[in-house]
Amino acid sequence: MKLYIALALTGLPIGAMYALQALGIVIVYKTSRVFNFATGAIGLTCAYAASSLVKHGVPSLVVLPIVVALGVLIGLLMELSVRPVRGTLTRTIVTLGWLLLLQGAVGWQYTAQAGTSEPARLLGQPKTLIHLGILQYGRDQVAVIVIAAALAAGLAFFFRATALGTATRAVSEAPDAARLLGIRVDRVNLVAWGIGGGISGLAGVLITPLLNKLDTTTLVIFTVQALAAALVGRLSSLPLTFAGGIGLGVVQPMVFRFMQVHFPSVRGTDELTALAVVLGALLLFRRGGRRDAASGGLAPVPIRPLPTGRLAAAFTAGVALMWVVPPLVTDDVGNMSRANITQTAVWAMAVLSLVLLVGVVGQVSVCQAVFMGCGAFGTGIAMSHGAPFLLAVVLGALLAAAVAAVVGLPAIRLEPLELAIATLSLAFTADRFLYSWSPFASPDANRPVPRPGFAGLDPGHVATGERNYAWLVVGVFVVACFAVASLRRGRTGAALTALRSSEPATAAMGFSVTSVKLRGFAASGFIAGLAGALYAGLLQGASGAPFDFTRSITLLAYAVIIGVASVPGAFFGGLIVTSSTLTVGATNQVASGRSASLVTALTGLLLIGVLMVAPDGLAGLWSRLLVVVRPEPQEVLL
Amino acid sequence: MAAALELRGVGVRFGTFDAVDGVSLSVHAGEVVGLIGPNGAGKTVTFNVITGLQPPTRGQVLLGGVDVTKTAAHTRTAMGLARTFQVVQLFAGMSVLENLMVAAHRFTHAGVVTDALRLPGRRRSLDSARERASAVLAFLGLAHLADVEVSSLPVGQARLVELARALCLKPKVLLLDEPASGLDPVETHDFVALLAEVRATLGCAMLLVEHDMGVVMPLCDHLVVMNFGRVLAEGTPTEVRDDPEVKTAYLGAAV
Repeated sequence: MKLYIALALTGLPIGAMYALQALGIVIVYKTSRVFNFATGAIGLTCAYAASSLVKHGVPSLVVLPIVVALGVLIGLLMELSVRPVRGTLTRTIVTLGWLLLLQGAVGWQYTAQAGTSEPARLLGQPKTLIHLGILQYGRDQVAVIVIAAALAAGLAFFFRATALGTATRAVSEAPDAARLLGIRVDRVNLVAWGIGGGISGLAGVLITPLLNKLDTTTLVIFTVQALAAALVGRLSSLPLTFAGGIGLGVVQPMVFRFMQVHFPSVRGTDELTALAVVLGALLLFRRGGRRDAASGGLAPVPIRPLPTGRLAAAFTAGVALMWVVPPLVTDDVGNMSRANITQTAVWAMAVLSLVLLVGVVGQVSVCQAVFMGCGAFGTGIAMSHGAPFLLAVVLGALLAAAVAAVVGLPAIRLEPLELAIATLSLAFTADRFLYSWSPFASPDANRPVPRPGFAGLDPGHVATGERNYAWLVVGVFVVACFAVASLRRGRTGAALTALRSSEPATAAMGFSVTSVKLRGFAASGFIAGLAGALYAGLLQGASGAPFDFTRSITLLAYAVIIGVASVPGAFFGGLIVTSSTLTVGATNQVASGRSASLVTALTGLLLIGVLMVAPDGLAGLWSRLLVVVRPEPQEVLL
Repeated sequence: MAAALELRGVGVRFGTFDAVDGVSLSVHAGEVVGLIGPNGAGKTVTFNVITGLQPPTRGQVLLGGVDVTKTAAHTRTAMGLARTFQVVQLFAGMSVLENLMVAAHRFTHAGVVTDALRLPGRRRSLDSARERASAVLAFLGLAHLADVEVSSLPVGQARLVELARALCLKPKVLLLDEPASGLDPVETHDFVALLAEVRATLGCAMLLVEHDMGVVMPLCDHLVVMNFGRVLAEGTPTEVRDDPEVKTAYLGAAV
C-alpha cells in the first residue's frame, strides 16, 4: 500500500503537465468550440526550439520567454487558419493539419542532427529538495507543479473576473449575439488561441526534462492524456481539468506497477489508462443535453455525392488502366512495380474506407490505420492457428470491424467531434500498446503472414506470385469501390443520408440512429481492416510501423484533400500514399527519416490549405471546373 | 378494445417547474383528437413524451395497450407511431420519392452486407420501398412531385410530402405537430380536406397539436385543452368552445 502511495506521488509532476496541456485545449474549446488536437505538437515544437537554443548557449532565462512566445505565435497562426473555415468539426481537422505540419517540420529540421536530442533543463538540474519517505522531489519537479497550479488558478480567475474573460464566455455561448453586442469576436478568439498555444508550448518545454528524453513522437502522443484530462473537465471547467490531469498523473504509475506485476506483457499502460478515461468520459458525457448546431457534421461537405460525372470517372478509369495494366499483363516488368500496384490498391482501399465514413456516414475517424493494423495482425493470428490465407484476411477484417464497433459505441451517439476524439486517442494508444502487445503482435512485434503464390490463377508462371497477388488486391479494391457505391444507393445508404439531414426525423422513420451510424462505422472499419490484411500479405508479415498514428492522420488528410465524397478519388489517395513512400524509399517507415518528415509536414500544410480554400477537396475543385467547362447537368454515376 | 394511444398521468418536471403535470388522454382508432392550448401550456413537451424524445418524470404512455414509456423513439415507430414536425424536417438533398422511400424501408430488410455486395435482397428492398412510396404519392395526388428535390418545395407542398412520408410507415397513430403553420388560408382548407380523406380511408388514430381553430374545429372529434401543464378542459369541439374557462384561458385571449 505504502508503495502505491509513493508511486502516486511520483506522478504528480507529470500530472501537472497533463493538466497544462489539457488547459491549452479547454481554453481554446471554451471560446471557439474547436478542439485543438495539435496541442502536443506545439509542445514538441517548443521543446525542440528550447533544446536547440540552449545548445547554442542562450541562457535559460532568455529561452523560456522565447519558446513561450513561439507557442503563442503558433496559436495565433492557427486561429488565423481556422477563421475562414466553417463548421466546428472541419476546423478541428485543420488542427490535425497543424499536428502533421509541426511534427513533420520538427522531424525534418532535427532528425538529421546527431542522436536523440537532449531536453533543455530550463528550471535547473534536478537537485533534491524535499524528502518524503523513500520519495524525493527535484527542484524542477516542484517548480513544474507550482507553475501549473498557478497558471490554472490564474486562468480560472481570468475567465471569471475580467472583462475579456466574460467576453470569452459570451463568444463561446453565442458568437453572433456577442458580435451584435459589440464584442470583437475575432480578437477574443485570437487571445484564447494565443493563450492556449503558449500554455501548450510551456507544457512541452517543462515536461521534457522530466521525461529525460526528446523525440518526435512522445510529446505528440501525450495529447491522449491531455484529451482525457480535458474530458474530465467536461471541456469547460478549468479546476476540474486541472484535477483531471493531476489525477491521471497520479493513477498512471499505480496502473503501471499493477500491470507490470500481473500482466507483464502489456506495454503502454499510461496511454491505455488515458484511453479508458477518454472512453469512460465520453460514455458519461452529454454536454448538458445541449447540442451545438454548428458541430452537427462536416458542414461544408455536400450531402449529395459530388458530381462525379462520367468524364471524371472515365478519366480516373483511364489513368488506372494505363498504370495498372502494363505491369500486370507483360512479363518483362520487375516485381517492384507490381508491389507498387498492390500497395496503391491497398492504400486506396484505406482512403476508400474514409470516403465511406466521412462522405456517406458523415463521421470522422482518425484511426483508420489502427483498423488496418487490426486487419494485418488479425490475419497473422488467424494464419498461426492454421486458417488459409483468404479466410484469415476476412477474419482480420472482421476483427477490425469489431474493434471499430467497440470504440465507436461510446462516442457515436454523440456528435462527430466526439468520435474524432475517441479514434485519435485509439490511434495514439495503439502505437504504444497494441503493436507491442505480445498476444496480439507476437513477442517480436512482427507476425509472419505467409501468403500463397496463387499459382492456380496463372498456370505456367508459378514464379510470378507478385503479379497474381497484385491482380487479387486490385480486384478486391474494385469490388470494394462498387460495394461502397452500392451501399450508398441502398437501404442503409438512404438511412445514412437521411441521418445527416435530420436525426429526429430519421428516428421517426423507425431507424435507430446509433445503430445505423455504428453499422456504417463498422463497415468502414471492415474495409480498412481488409486493406491492412492485404498489405500484410504483400509484405508477408504484419508489424505496427506502417500503421502508426501519423499514418492514421495522413490517411484522413488525403481523403479530405482529395474530396471525401468521391469514390474514384480514393484511387488518387492511394496513389499519393504510394508515391510518398516511394520518394521516401523505405516502404514501411512513416514517421522516421528526414524526407518522410518533410512529406508529413507538406501533407499537413496541404490539408490546412485545402480546407481554407476548397472544403470539398480537390475532387470538388475538379468537378466545379468540369461544370464550368460543360454546363449541362451531368448524370450522377456513383 | 384498448385505445390506439393512451397517456396516463404523464408528468414532466424540469428542475422545480412542472412543464406537464398529470396529463391523461386517449385516442382511439379512427378518431381525431386535437391538443390545444396557449403558448407554454406543455403541448410540445407532451408531444415529445409521446414520440419518445422526452422521457416523462412520471406516468405512462401506451400504444395499443402496450406500455412504451421506456421504449426508444425508433421502436415506437415500428409499433405504428408516425409523426410530422412543427418545422418541416424533410431529408435535404433527396428527392420527394427518396424521402418517402426512407420511411418505406421500415418494411424492408436489406442490411449492410446485402446492400454492399448487391445480393438479391437489395433489389427487392429497393423495389418494394419504391412501390410503397409511389403508391402513397399517388394516393395523395403528389405523383408529379416524385423527382423534385425537397429543398426546392414551397412550405405547403413540403408539409404534404412530410404527411406522405409519415403515411408510408402505415401508422396506427399519426401525430401531427402544427400541420397548418406556415400555410395560407386556401392551403389550410385543402390540407384539412386531405386529412379528413386520409382519416376516412386509413382509419388511423390522429392526434394533432394546432393553434389554428379553422383546422381543429371541422376536423377533430374530441379536443383536449392544456394550460400550465394541466388538462384544463376536454370534450367535443362545440363543448370546448363554449366552456367559459377555456374562453378565458385560450380563446378569450386569442379571439
